[in-house]
Parts: sequence; structure tokens; C-alpha cells
Amino acid sequence: MTSPSALARRAAPMFACIGLLAVWQVASLALKNDSFPTAIEAIRAIPDILGDKESLINILASLRRMAIGFGIAVLVSIPLGLLMGRSRAVAAFFNPLLMVIYPVPKAALMPIIMLWLGVGDITKTLVIFLGVSLPVIYHSFEGAKAVEEKMLWSGAAMGLSPLQRLIRIVLPAALPEILTGCRTGLVLALITMITSEMIARQSGAGNILFNALDMGQYDTVYAMIIIVGAMGICLDAVFERVRARLVRWSEPQFDMPLSFS
Amino acid sequence: MKVVPSRSSEWVNPVTSQQPASAIIEIDRVSQVFQTSARKDHVALSDISLTIEEGAFVSILGPSGCGKSTLLYIVGGFVNPTSGAVRMKGQAITGPGPDRGPVFQEFALFPWKTVLGNVMYGPRQQRVRAAEAEAQSRALIEMVGLKGYENFYPKELSGGMKQRVALARTLAYHPEVLLMDEPFGALDAHTRTRLQNDLLNIWERDRKTVLFVTHSVDEAVFLSDKVVMMSKSPGRIREVIDIDLPRPRRRNELLLDPRYQKYVVDIERMFDEVDETGSAS
Repeated sequence: MTSPSALARRAAPMFACIGLLAVWQVASLALKNDSFPTAIEAIRAIPDILGDKESLINILASLRRMAIGFGIAVLVSIPLGLLMGRSRAVAAFFNPLLMVIYPVPKAALMPIIMLWLGVGDITKTLVIFLGVSLPVIYHSFEGAKAVEEKMLWSGAAMGLSPLQRLIRIVLPAALPEILTGCRTGLVLALITMITSEMIARQSGAGNILFNALDMGQYDTVYAMIIIVGAMGICLDAVFERVRARLVRWSEPQFDMPLSFS
Repeated sequence: MKVVPSRSSEWVNPVTSQQPASAIIEIDRVSQVFQTSARKDHVALSDISLTIEEGAFVSILGPSGCGKSTLLYIVGGFVNPTSGAVRMKGQAITGPGPDRGPVFQEFALFPWKTVLGNVMYGPRQQRVRAAEAEAQSRALIEMVGLKGYENFYPKELSGGMKQRVALARTLAYHPEVLLMDEPFGALDAHTRTRLQNDLLNIWERDRKTVLFVTHSVDEAVFLSDKVVMMSKSPGRIREVIDIDLPRPRRRNELLLDPRYQKYVVDIERMFDEVDETGSAS
């Protein structure tokens, strides 16, 4: 663990971050553009945002919508994906529907959803739900499809009913793939969260960001970008920890990009 | 060509000599046709009838593509035959059940369960109390030679060890018939030999009925009371050969036994005949 190469590997992400900030700082000083603050100015603005009660409430409201949207999406998408993976009829029914939804940017649906449901939490949560669902369905589907037939037969011989096989064999066997989908879904939840707040401004992290942009407070804008980015990295790192624990039994897989854990 | 078993020894096969031997599985004119394309049908099995007696170790031997695994899957209830029927103790088989325990070449262990978790799975499904299931499972794990590996995950085991776990997992829910589908086919020669020896030792304790699919002639002769030789395209039973060799069988004695050698040579010749339509081997 303490060999020089291991040490370098652990320190590398930090160096990458410092490098990025350094490039930013130099570029900003060179360009001398009012709408492009230096990295140091942006970082200085972070405590102001996090120290402000109003801003914190906004950010927490964002995270709450994101958690609800993500949670419901996962609860709906995993069973659906697994069923699709094990039943050709279910797959044949849902595949065309998903193919239609897939290429549509979920944020583009927002104006329509807003007409029905208003600009409140429900609309934004629904958009997050849509954004998260597809990768989770897709990966659950692929994971369920790949489950070894003989494993299911072994379960059937032990007396497991079809439903028991789905829950007790297909679900755990597909779990590594499902969690890969959830990880992608988590990042998409963050993205759709910000875009939904960009379109329906009312509260939230996106609201702070775009209000600051309107008012020309560019250090706040960039500080918010850093905060949102840091939130993404933290969420991903926590999720990766949980994922690694849940699928310890699995064959060693390639490390995913964006692994900070 | 007919193989005439030499009945020179004083030993009598308890299975074939029992009068009358009770049939546990009856395969009754089973055919299996797969539709490979819109117009072409592949006849995997054609009109197979076979009776398996209780306590017998029966091998189904044949070249690849003769449908021997398909036949096993039909007996397991995993695949429905196109026509014909299989009965277990007079009851028609309509699906899988714990009275017939499969062991697959691919092991098919539950990778998220430890060795102990895998072996306990069947008993727990049958509502055996946890403590009891665990005690039985630990004993089985010891019996298949894996004491000390109870808390290992399948990915941490070699192929031979995985197949030992798979055998223990199936034995744990006490099936009346073991259905073994080329169980040692994925293993190297040395591991294979060791598992054959151990399987025989385990089998000789309680003499469960075993239906054993293989394409290895010496494996079939070494293990079996009866070898069912199949031919391919379409899959048919070519010959049923009684293997009259004394038990318990010891490999080092058997390999020197001229009767064993004759069985192997004769069946290999028959194998070549049924296989010559296919590959040049």
C-alpha cells in the first residue's frame, strides 16, 4: 500500500484537481475578462454561499428532490428491467416505449409537464425520475438477461417459484450490473436536477446559479459550479463505497471512470 | 456389434440382479425437435425409451450433438419434450422438483453466496431450521473435501472445488435422483480423476440413482452400472451396455482389470462408429 506507485495513484486525483484550478487561475488572469473570475475568487465565494441560510435551504431542497426522484426511479426501474430481461413479452411491450423516450432530453419535456403539474416540486422530481429511470432499466434488463439459465434451473430444482427465482436469484445475480446503472442514474439525477431548476426557477441550487448569472455575480456562478461538481463527486464516491460492499462477491470488474474512492 | 459382459466373477451386481428391480424413471418414447430456421427442424432426440432402476448409476454416453444433455434436461423437467413422456415413480414429470437434483458442467453456483450459503440454500428453501441446515451443510462440505472453505465465495475457488460445492449443494436437499450433466467436463485431467474417485466414494455410501451424461468412455465405464450409448442426428439409443465390474471400484485395480479394458475398447469402437458421420476424430 505504501509503495511509491501506490502512493502516486492515491495522490493523482488531488494533483488533477490542483492542476485544473491552476490552469483556470492562469487562464483567467491572462484573459482579464469580467465574466471569468479567477479560481481563487470563485473559491472565496463558496463560504458565503454555504454560510447563507437561504442558499443552504435552496441546496437542501434540490438534494431532497433529487433523492426522491432517484429513489422512486430505482424502485420502479429495477423490477421493470428485471421483468423485461426475463420475459420476452414484457420486453416486447416496453422496448418501443423506451426507445421513444430514450433520445428525448428529459429537460425538454419540462415545459409540457409544467403545464400539467405546475412549476413546483412534483414537476422537477418527475423530470429527475425520468432521467434516472432509463439507465437503471437498461442495466437491470441487461443484467437479468445475462443470468445463467443453469443457475435458475438449480433454483427451480430446489423448489423456488418463478417469483422467488426473480427476487432471490435474478436480482442478486444481476446486482453488479444494476448498480452500474444506478451509478449512471445518480449522475444523471444531479444533471437533471440542475437543468430542471434552470427551466423552472423557484428554488434550488440551479436557481442560485442562474440568478447569480442574471445579476452578473460571476464569482457566485463559478462557486456554485464548484459546489455542484463537489456534490457530484461526493455522491459518487459514497455510492461507489456502497456498491463495492454489496458486490464484494462479484468477479473483479474494471474500475469505472470517475472513481474517487 | 454387441458387447458381451463377462460374468466370470463371483461378484453379482446388486442392481441388475435384484428381482424385480424397481424402475424409478421411465423415459417413454421421448422426441425433441428444435426449430433451427423457418423451414428446417433439427431432431435432437428421436423416440427415446429407457428405464432407469432405483439405485443404479447410469451413464449416457455419446458424441457432442447427440442430444444427451437435452435428454437429461427433459428428465430434470427443465425442458419439455416435443412428444413422449417421462415418469418418475409412475408420476409424469411436468417440471423441475427437489426429487431430481441437477449438477451442471457450468457449476451454476450462486456467486453472491458463500460455500456454506450455497449448500444451505436448498435445505433453507425446504424450511429446514437454520441451525439444522447449517450442521448438515457443514457435514456435506466436509464430505466433499472442502472443510475450511465454508466462508469462501465461489470466485475464490478453483473449478474442481466449485464442482464439489455444486455436488454438496445438490446432495443437501436429498434428491432421489442425481442428474449430472458432464459435471467434470470443464476440469483438467487430474482434477477430473480425483473427482471421479470421490464421487464414487460418496455414491457408494447411499447409492442414490444417478443419471450421468458424459462423452468420456473410461469415465462412463469406471463409474456406471449401465452405459447408454447414443448416436447422433437424430439422437437415438444405439446400445445399452451393462457394466459388470465389482464394487467398490478402485481405479488402480480397475485399470489393470482385463474386463474393464475390454469394456473401454469395445465401447470406444462403438463410439467411433456412431461418430464417424460427424467429425473425423
